[in-house]
Amino acid sequence: MAPTAVADDVFYALSNSTRRKVLEQLSAGPATVSELAAPFDMKLPSFVQHLSVLERSRLVKSKKRGRVRTYEIAPDRFQVAEDWLAARRQLWEARLDRFDQYVKELKEKESAT
Amino acid sequence: MSKQFAINPKLDFAIERFIDAPTRLVWEALTKPEHLKEWYMPKAWGRVSRTEMDVRPGGIFSIDIATGDGREVPNLGCFLEAIPMERLVWTSMLFPGYRPAVFDDIPITAIITMESVGTGTRYVFTALHRNEADLEANKSSGFYQGTEIAVDQLVEHVKSMK
Repeated sequence: MAPTAVADDVFYALSNSTRRKVLEQLSAGPATVSELAAPFDMKLPSFVQHLSVLERSRLVKSKKRGRVRTYEIAPDRFQVAEDWLAARRQLWEARLDRFDQYVKELKEKESAT
Repeated sequence: MSKQFAINPKLDFAIERFIDAPTRLVWEALTKPEHLKEWYMPKAWGRVSRTEMDVRPGGIFSIDIATGDGREVPNLGCFLEAIPMERLVWTSMLFPGYRPAVFDDIPITAIITMESVGTGTRYVFTALHRNEADLEANKSSGFYQGTEIAVDQLVEHVKSMK
């Protein structure tokens, strides 16, 4: 998959508060579908749709033992979001540095006259 | 149409309507996000909050709905067939790009057919299920009722597009 398509999936998966709460819950350790669903007042089929969006983005992965499916965090894909945000921050920091420099030059010119 | 599928009344449900509009408009209403948001979710229940449709085999089918209390629920699937003004097939058993999905849910395959009848269109929405229990669950959860309301909203919306 193209990198932009991967980022689309990741940011789309992160764009919903239910899914972010599931990720927060999974950060504490693996959990079963029913454990993950428990805090939410939502029908199970709807909740499972959220898990499928997370699974498609590969922010999580699941394993099935018998009839019980367990989810866990898949840290690799978080890097996609982190890299994108870091690149934006670098750009803006560099831009602000240049702006700083420019204002300083203006000030020096002014005091020279 | 060749018999690539057969409806089993024990497993599946079909909703049929006559729409007094050409198949071209019905096809547009089924495939364009700006039209889908007008009819896909029963208006008394909520609204469509986001749509992504790549209408070709393997393309993404993604419609997020928001209920009255502001909760959003995704519906994600993969198109299997897209014959303009004739037939549209998608399944929630696959992620887009034919990637096998992981599912403990109640997956469906939706088959939508349209056929010119006089100046109008005969429209049939069919939902195929794995087994009787899945069909029963979809009937009691409101999925079936919601789909019927949505199809009625589709009929009204297509008429307003003329």
